[in-house]
Amino acid sequence: MSTPAILVQDLHKEFLLSHSGVGSLKTLALWWKKRELEHLQVLKGLSFEVGRGECVAVVGRNGAGKSTLLSLLARVYLPTTGTVQINGRLAPLLELGAGFHPDLTGLENILFNGMILGLTRKQAMERTADIVAFAELEHHIDSPVRAYSSGMLARLGFSVAVHVDADVLIVDEVLAVGDFAFEEKCYDRIASFRSASGTILFVSHNMDSVRRVADRCLWLKDGKVELAGEPETVIASYENG
Amino acid sequence: MQADLKELWRFRELLWAMVERELRIRYKNSFLGFFWSLINPLMTVVVMTLVFKTFLQNSTENYAPYVLSAYLPFMFFNLAVMDSAQSVLVAMPVVKKVYFPREILPLASVLANFIHFLLALVVFFGYLFVVWATTGFQVSPFTWRIGFLPVLLVVSLALTLGTSLIVSALNVFYEDVKYVIGVLLYLAFFMTPIMYFSENVWAAVSKKGPTYEWLYYLYHLNPVAQLATTYKKTLVPPGRIDVGSGLVVDPIAQNWGLFGVTVLVSFGVLVFGYWLFNRMKWKFVERP
Repeated sequence: MSTPAILVQDLHKEFLLSHSGVGSLKTLALWWKKRELEHLQVLKGLSFEVGRGECVAVVGRNGAGKSTLLSLLARVYLPTTGTVQINGRLAPLLELGAGFHPDLTGLENILFNGMILGLTRKQAMERTADIVAFAELEHHIDSPVRAYSSGMLARLGFSVAVHVDADVLIVDEVLAVGDFAFEEKCYDRIASFRSASGTILFVSHNMDSVRRVADRCLWLKDGKVELAGEPETVIASYENG
Repeated sequence: MQADLKELWRFRELLWAMVERELRIRYKNSFLGFFWSLINPLMTVVVMTLVFKTFLQNSTENYAPYVLSAYLPFMFFNLAVMDSAQSVLVAMPVVKKVYFPREILPLASVLANFIHFLLALVVFFGYLFVVWATTGFQVSPFTWRIGFLPVLLVVSLALTLGTSLIVSALNVFYEDVKYVIGVLLYLAFFMTPIMYFSENVWAAVSKKGPTYEWLYYLYHLNPVAQLATTYKKTLVPPGRIDVGSGLVVDPIAQNWGLFGVTVLVSFGVLVFGYWLFNRMKWKFVERP
């Protein structure tokens, strides 16, 4: 437990909200009119850390900034101010099947997605068999991904993410998609991931799964940490207010 | 910028995978697919040759190889810029969810087109060989000048990469950029010595008098035009050029000063484009 796996310090994120649609050269030419831009403060000074091997759940109402936080951790956004530090390789699972190209086959997408998540081509090739087996998609792996159901996409996406040797897994409300058997398999996999001292940060609206896997819980409210601590205590006060 | 380059190097395998993907989609897994994509340049050259040699009664030697040698590089520039203009927008669903160096997207479009261009050049040399064979192997079309081709390819690649980075970054925020670029590229085709020659430009300018000669240099400050001229002089053995009014002239020697300017401009565009793209790339996902 020397350096934390995730270290977030005084994180702020501000978005510009336009009320005039997508930009065009016309709007640029009319810039003297000053476009109607609204500054939207989503995260207002967030600080926390997640130790190596810890599993932390983030709960909060819609609009509290949970997804923005995960996107910042996944390096999709840059912070407005403050720092995000992640020690080790990160595998984000922000949306099922994001990064999948609909016209490529499942197999080609595994290679591709594996490489986006930081595997070399060779490593990705070696792991395809395991990934396919875990996702239980042996019969569909050569068809284009656009023909997959959302459950199949979920399984494939999850399977790739847990096979890239990540040190830190970031999950946005995805475990709910598979059927019961697959969900159990995911929990097993998460348990073995954690016993190999992997770190998990996940967002969930399902308090049962929070109670089941989280060591610690973070309640986000209006872009700030309202409460952090034992899942039971945090969930109790979250549900009451 | 150094950190960005290092990051790009870390993701080089992903870049190659994307190049491969683009080529695979383009050739649709078929060997014939490559030849289908050659039909456009070949038909264009056939029609241009018909128009110039037959309708306009132009007596320029090596006309068809001359046109092809400039049209292929121009098409590379054209297709690479147009493909990469869309590259970031098309990949937006991925860009919003996963991190990877965003410059990989336009770079992959350019590199895929570059590989296609190299293959087309192989076909071009095959064509020269066939023409040579039909004349009974008299005058070889392969001169020592071809040794300059690698340098020329590097400069073209630099200019194309730089332009593509600029266009793809701007197109994320102003989606009509690609239409403007489409029109500019169409006009550039006529302002580039592809179906005519820089000698035509020189003849027209010098006819007006020595005070107008600067127009010839101005014309060649456009790096695309200068590159087309240099491709012609590099790939095709010098043939006499019909500049109109019954005048047939020897080709003008390569102007190294003008080519030097093009080299500077091309690498300048590359550095600026890379800088601009990196400055804008973090804003792609949060464009207002």
